[in-house]
Amino acid sequence: MQKSLIFVYGVLIALTIATALIANFMLVSPFVVSLIMGLAVFKFSLVTFQFMELKKANSFWKVSLTLTLGLIVLLIIFLK
Amino acid sequence: MNTLKINYKNIYYPPGGILMWIIIFLELITFGMALVAFVYYGNEQRELFHHSRMQLNTTFGAINTVFLLTSGFFMANAVHQFKEKEIQKSSVFFKLAMLGGFLFLGLKSIEYYHKIESGISLDTNMFYTFYWLLTGFHVIHVIMGLVILGWTNYGMTKKDSDTITEDVEACAAFWHMCDLIWLLLFPVLYLIF
Repeated sequence: MQKSLIFVYGVLIALTIATALIANFMLVSPFVVSLIMGLAVFKFSLVTFQFMELKKANSFWKVSLTLTLGLIVLLIIFLK
Repeated sequence: MNTLKINYKNIYYPPGGILMWIIIFLELITFGMALVAFVYYGNEQRELFHHSRMQLNTTFGAINTVFLLTSGFFMANAVHQFKEKEIQKSSVFFKLAMLGGFLFLGLKSIEYYHKIESGISLDTNMFYTFYWLLTGFHVIHVIMGLVILGWTNYGMTKKDSDTITEDVEACAAFWHMCDLIWLLLFPVLYLIF
């Protein structure tokens, strides 16, 4: 097993637990929604760039994915 | 040991293949637009969406996230081992990745059973229309992913296998896509209302 993959996996699980704790112990507010969606974006990026090895791809794919994801999450945060 | 070198920096060869990435973008945009519509309607019916959201089991949702992330971790290791020509090790990781998928489906089935038992259906309200459609389509993707994983694992372990790195990467990219969709569905459906 690659050490980098183990590290990324550990971070992903820690962020999932953090998300669940935030949702359970904090009242829903614009800040909490932004925090939860921000953590989701970070986890999404870790999976794409590390597990799917997008970090090795042409910048076109990295920029396109970042813009698409960013637009969707920003719309969710603003509409909420 | 020789390993196959692919020029990932070429715009036509992202890891997993250009066709798989076109599918990933289409899926991301489709599910993304549905989630934006969900939030838009949720803003118009705040009480209803909050009440409905509170009926969902967030613990199940969080555990299912862990199942899919763990499965994705094993899948990434399976690709790594395949590139190192360690086919048997890769096959073990494939099976572990599939186990994560089956655990996800098992827990999802329990969640669906509780909802159906409580009389909650597609027609209950706007929240649950989105809930059933979004999670249902995602479950279909997971089932398809398991079929692809099983088929690829069979293909790469059989005698005189012609499975190449691009095949395994494409299979892995589809499986990771199931993680990605869930990483957006979980917070929006289970947490923010």
